[in-house]
Amino acid sequence: MADHALAHAAHDPNLGNTGLDHRKMGMWIFLGSDCMFFGSLIGTYLSYKGKSLSGPGPHDVFNIPLTSYSAALLLASSLFMVLALARLQEHRIRAAAFWLFATALFGLHFVLNQVYEFTTFALHEGLKLSTNLFGSSFFVLTGFHGAHVTGGVIWLSILMVLALRGKIDARDYTKVEIAGLYWHFVDIVWVAIFTIIYLIP
Amino acid sequence: MAEPHTVSAHASGGRATVKTYVNVAIILGIITAIEVTTLYVPGIPNVLLVSSLLAMSVVKFFLVVGFFMHLKYDSGIMRALFVGPLIIAICIILAMMALFSAYILLPRVVL
Repeated sequence: MADHALAHAAHDPNLGNTGLDHRKMGMWIFLGSDCMFFGSLIGTYLSYKGKSLSGPGPHDVFNIPLTSYSAALLLASSLFMVLALARLQEHRIRAAAFWLFATALFGLHFVLNQVYEFTTFALHEGLKLSTNLFGSSFFVLTGFHGAHVTGGVIWLSILMVLALRGKIDARDYTKVEIAGLYWHFVDIVWVAIFTIIYLIP
Repeated sequence: MAEPHTVSAHASGGRATVKTYVNVAIILGIITAIEVTTLYVPGIPNVLLVSSLLAMSVVKFFLVVGFFMHLKYDSGIMRALFVGPLIIAICIILAMMALFSAYILLPRVVL
């Protein structure tokens, strides 16, 4: 088994001694470390919860319908991402590029919703990064998540352009799959944030 | 650019079909709708509300990881690389909550 894996690795520079693609393994290691990063931020938010000396608090500012809509956008974009991968595997490059576009578009919509939310909090609700413990922990946590989504949108847009220009084909499946892993991770972080920060009273 | 071995490995990897992906997305949408609706139902005890919201969130999390991220079909090494740090992340959250006496599931006991 090990000999087979080594022989296979000799043919493909992207396969390591385990027979697994080292780029994909690297992405999983990164996602694991990012789990701990977001775990720390969520832990900090929960530790500070209800300990602000002054308002506004979560229930003064949260717009649950808007946030639910944003959650639906990210979940739908995750479906579009796997559809892009499936089309790429079927050698339907233009269809794959379309689904990559749809994924990036929904991601961009999510980011714009977050910009609207942050702006509303700052300008109309009087909640800024330095207002109270809730403001600092909320903006840092959701801001870092938004930065991750923005990075994903840029990455997916680049892949879409490369696909349209014929520089990506079915043999580049792993490259798109790795971007997909990152995108789905951003989605599951939002699943956690949506429940823990927005829904739990 | 070309990675012939990689694509052949995926083609025979026994991945989920498009139908499975769509079904998973529908389930995710239904769970999200239930989560949001639960918030507006009056009279639900706090412990029940919080625990049910957390349970639904965990189901959504593992559906995305298992099916969309293909971890259900991937190597055990990949699974360990993700689940190990995930357990550490959960421990970090619980440790910080214990350190700062922050409880979201149980009501605070005032002595």
